[in-house]
Amino acid sequence: MSILVIAEHDNATLKAGTRNTLSAALKLGITADILVAGYNCQPAARAAASLAGVNKVKVADAAHLADGFAENLASLVVSIAAGYSYILAPASTYGKNFMPRVAALLDVAQISEISAVVDANTFVRPIYAGNALATVESKDAVKVITVRTTSFDAAGDGGSAAIENVLSPADLGCTTLVERELSVSERPELGAAKIVVSGGRGLGNGENYQRVLAPLADKLGAALGASRAAVDAGFVPNDYQVGQTGKIVAPQLYIAVGISGAIQHLAGMKESKVIVAINKDADAPIFQVADYGLVGDLFELVPQLTAAL
Amino acid sequence: MSMKILVPIKRVVDYNVKIRVKADNSAVELDNVKMSMNPFDEIAVEEAVRLKEAGVAVEVVVVTCGIAAAQDILRSALALGADRAILVEVDVAQSETLQPLAVAKLLKALVGQEQPGLVICGKQAIDDDANQTGQMLAALQGWPQATFASKVVIADGKATVTREVDGGLETLAVTLPAVISTDLRLNEPRYATLPNIMKAKKKPLNILTAASLGVDVAPRLITRSVNEPPKRTAGIRVGDVAQLVDKLKNEPKII
Amino acid sequence: MTVYVAPVKDLMFVLEEVAGLDEVAALPGCEEVGIELVSAVLEEASRLAEEVIAPLNKISDQQGATCANYEVKTSPGFKDAYKQFADGGWIGLTCDPEFGGQGLPHLLSIPVGEIWNSACTAFALCPMLTSGAIEALSHHASDDLKARYLPKMISGEWTGTMNLTEPNAGSDLAAVRTRAVPANDGSNAYLISGTKIFITYGEHDYTDNIIHLVLARLPDAPAGVKGISLFVVPKFLLNSDGSAGARNDAKCVSIEHKMGIHGSPTAVMAFGEETGAVGHLVGEANRGLEYMFTMMNNARLSVGLEGVGIAERAYQQTLSYAMERIQGRVAGREGTLPIAYHPDVRRMLMSMRSQTEAMRALVLVAAASLDKAARCADAGERKRHQARIDLLIPVAKGWCSEQANEIAYTAVQVHGGMGYIEETGVAQYQRDARITTIYEGTTGIQANDLMGRKVARDGGAAANALILEMVATAVQAQGVTELTSMGDGLAGGVADLKAATDWIVENYVSNTASTLLGSVHYLKLFGTVAGAWLLVRSSIAAQARLVAGNGDAAFCRQKIGTTRFYIDQVLPLTASLLLMLKRGTSSLDAADLALS
Ligand SMILES: Cc1cc2nc3c(=O)[nH]c(=O)nc-3n(C[C@H](O)[C@H](O)[C@H](O)COP(=O)(O)OP(=O)(O)OC[C@H]3O[C@@H](n4cnc5c(N)ncnc54)[C@H](O)[C@@H]3O)c2cc1C
Repeated sequence: MSILVIAEHDNATLKAGTRNTLSAALKLGITADILVAGYNCQPAARAAASLAGVNKVKVADAAHLADGFAENLASLVVSIAAGYSYILAPASTYGKNFMPRVAALLDVAQISEISAVVDANTFVRPIYAGNALATVESKDAVKVITVRTTSFDAAGDGGSAAIENVLSPADLGCTTLVERELSVSERPELGAAKIVVSGGRGLGNGENYQRVLAPLADKLGAALGASRAAVDAGFVPNDYQVGQTGKIVAPQLYIAVGISGAIQHLAGMKESKVIVAINKDADAPIFQVADYGLVGDLFELVPQLTAAL
Repeated sequence: MSMKILVPIKRVVDYNVKIRVKADNSAVELDNVKMSMNPFDEIAVEEAVRLKEAGVAVEVVVVTCGIAAAQDILRSALALGADRAILVEVDVAQSETLQPLAVAKLLKALVGQEQPGLVICGKQAIDDDANQTGQMLAALQGWPQATFASKVVIADGKATVTREVDGGLETLAVTLPAVISTDLRLNEPRYATLPNIMKAKKKPLNILTAASLGVDVAPRLITRSVNEPPKRTAGIRVGDVAQLVDKLKNEPKII
Repeated sequence: MTVYVAPVKDLMFVLEEVAGLDEVAALPGCEEVGIELVSAVLEEASRLAEEVIAPLNKISDQQGATCANYEVKTSPGFKDAYKQFADGGWIGLTCDPEFGGQGLPHLLSIPVGEIWNSACTAFALCPMLTSGAIEALSHHASDDLKARYLPKMISGEWTGTMNLTEPNAGSDLAAVRTRAVPANDGSNAYLISGTKIFITYGEHDYTDNIIHLVLARLPDAPAGVKGISLFVVPKFLLNSDGSAGARNDAKCVSIEHKMGIHGSPTAVMAFGEETGAVGHLVGEANRGLEYMFTMMNNARLSVGLEGVGIAERAYQQTLSYAMERIQGRVAGREGTLPIAYHPDVRRMLMSMRSQTEAMRALVLVAAASLDKAARCADAGERKRHQARIDLLIPVAKGWCSEQANEIAYTAVQVHGGMGYIEETGVAQYQRDARITTIYEGTTGIQANDLMGRKVARDGGAAANALILEMVATAVQAQGVTELTSMGDGLAGGVADLKAATDWIVENYVSNTASTLLGSVHYLKLFGTVAGAWLLVRSSIAAQARLVAGNGDAAFCRQKIGTTRFYIDQVLPLTASLLLMLKRGTSSLDAADLALS
């Protein structure tokens, strides 16, 4: 049973989700290979080689892989797929983008966003925004899987796998990058942070969002997140969104400030270990999932909390 | 440009319905539950209609693969401004196990017949949350794709698409024909007007079968069971910030 | 507050099984109508109502319309929502296609109207008044006036109002004093002057013109009801190209502070304070009240419908509260259960629900009669349906609005203290419902109309024709094993209605005053029995669906349960109503003694 994990990285370092995906893979076999596809991505490959449980790192280093276009990535993965029974990638926008192409080209189903491995053929995956969990069995010879990274621990270090170069198929040439506006932040990655401070419409505007939440996040070393309402209202960029269609997070501590708790938001954070909700509406649904609820004016309470920590 | 746009749409449990798992844990209860067009697909229909209104496209064709009752969402899409609809009809049992790969193959067959210059679909359906069909169709066609779109501009045989990705936004230019999948902020779908609801009744709606398209729709994944997730119960209300800090400090490994 | 979900399933069921959608679809001009179209229209209306209009209801209660410097600012969100509503073409639903309407039957506009009213009654009033004005112009105005006003009113670009009431003319419109004199400027215009009060949406910020229909007297008019004429008076005079031009001398001087429907501006209108408001005569001189009466049926049905809309929303919110609030142990049941399981709360919930469903069926059946009276090919048939609708209108208006108040009252009661606290929003329904028994003719006026004009005048002919149909339904139910007892119950209620009707026919002329003392009792008796009749018909259809195994079995069983509850707990009122009616002479005497 050989297993291939596709690493998500920025050529220099691995994205945190790669480790969780690897540990999902290691529930299916003793070791796994990792594919690092990119351009000038040797540092990322070396990082992959040092993960515990990695058998071999395959590196495809080519200019046309620099931007991670789905078309080129999928054709690369398919070209090296022979012999693998499992191909896994994180269910991030990166993995969700190209993995269905891989599955279609291999004429197999994709098993999306698994949250548990039951046995070699059987997996659990959330459906209906996590309001139900489906246990599904794959009938395909090759299992193409994306992994809900928050459901699996991060794989540790300690490996020293061999690094092997692989050739990548020619550039399909159908896509060009026009622009990238990536948020730069000193804070931890939202999907992998231990603590998340998240704000909703109750903050009123983007200025308040920063003024009230940033000091708290700084103090806690937390990532910042937001509800869909706050993103739609333009308080913060889209990549802050936590929820069914945004990011799924499961930190040790999730602090929801001025978030009412629409079912689609809860879908993205209810696996958090401890949830704190601060909201002036005592009936807000967020309190139904919060371990600690504080009813009151967030503009008073959050600065108090920041000061008290 | 005299481009045709194909918009695949899906009938799902309405966004506002709180779903229930069947007592025998075989599936989610669909009987007597309000069904609607998948919200991401509404955005796809809206985008296609806007492209037509802007003169970029000449025809918007909506298609769904599902049971006969799914005609209602096709009529809704026609009322929103689509020109023509296709139902690829499957029976109830088939519809319960119709999976993205099979749908992508049905769509490929339709793309062969219709020759659209662009396919716009929702990024995921809010029932199975699979997020696969558009990408699979693109792969089967050998077309480029631009998923999770928050802005689409069509010009000079290319689609320039801004995508919502984990780190922020990314803008790609893809050659046409291509598949675009919609994210939430691409547009705000309109409400159907009464005159358009009336007109929708007269717009063509063709019914085909999966078999006539030569596609095997047998499932590749078998659902063994469907369960409620463990319920998270409400904790306690704390009276003030001091009490909250005290509680958090006593929780292991947090602060 | 909970979200509103339009009861499309029940509406479709009643349309198909009770109100005769297929019969209406077979009428001339209704070729487009069918189950598919109707359900598509209801679904799309629901979307707009649930997502755009319903969320404004509570805000409009808290931040009502305001008035300053002759201008009105409507509640937050209303203006945008109105634009979406008008752009959706909803105002033209029943209007003449020649002027841009869709020409659809009332059997479609009434269920859609229920949805608007549930979403936000204060919002729904503006299109409702516009429809009234459109109807009056369509039936009575010259071709020239129609061409100038109808297209823009039907598209929603302009709204309409009805200016009837004056400080001294409310229930009695014969007392109208507003004057109209020929302008004598070579045109056929008139100059109007006078004060109108309580004018719904007399001023607002939605549109760039408002078209007032105004009742006024010409200088040489005969006194009383036969001396009132109808005029069209735009807020802005029309330019020759039909666009809105100079400001007319018709102003909103203030708006009322009200008990409910805070989002609906209720204006005091001053006409002709300076030069005289320019208006044009609609139809012929001195026939204004008669014209008003031709559209009265629709307007009154619309107010009954407001009652249904508010009742439905109040029920939805109350049910959801009752399913969440936990208080005390429930008698006869194990475990922790919400208050909805306490027998008394169950009684309240079911009294709300069963009456709401009965009211809904009544207005839909009345709507079908309106369509048949207007569209049947055969003149005799039209006449028969006109008699039916004339009979049903005061009942639908009076009974539905009165019961809506009871239902809203019960909604507060189920909420306990939280019902009395504004936060839950349930008190709003009680305040909003309150107006429905007052405007478009108070319950007393409806009851007079029913007893005098609709029952006594034709010797009970129209009422007895309906009673015969009710008897047939009772007999039919008695023949279905599962429904026998509800058939018996209905038969008893119908017998009371029959006895009351006979008594009125016997006594009205000889003893008008003491008969009228019980007029509202009779109206309620009539409504209560008519509601039972339609619920039993619904249950017969539901039982047939169950046997045939088609459709939604759970829904059908619920319908039967709802009917049984109504027959057990609501219908028995008829006995006491009958008794009170018959005691009119003695009670009037007692009242005279006490009030002397
Ligand atoms: C919010 C609001 C909006 C309104 N909108 C409009 C509008 O848009 N256009 C418009 O023209 N008017 C409008 N009205 C006026 C409304 O139609 C009148 O208030 C209504 O017709 C009652 O008249 P009234 O207030 O003069 O009461 P009155 O006529 O003084 O009635 C007082 C009481 O006497 C009873 N009564 C009177 N006459 C009789 C009788 N013959 N037999 C038995 N009982 C009788 C009534 O039932 C009532 O109980 C509105 C009113 C309100 C409050």
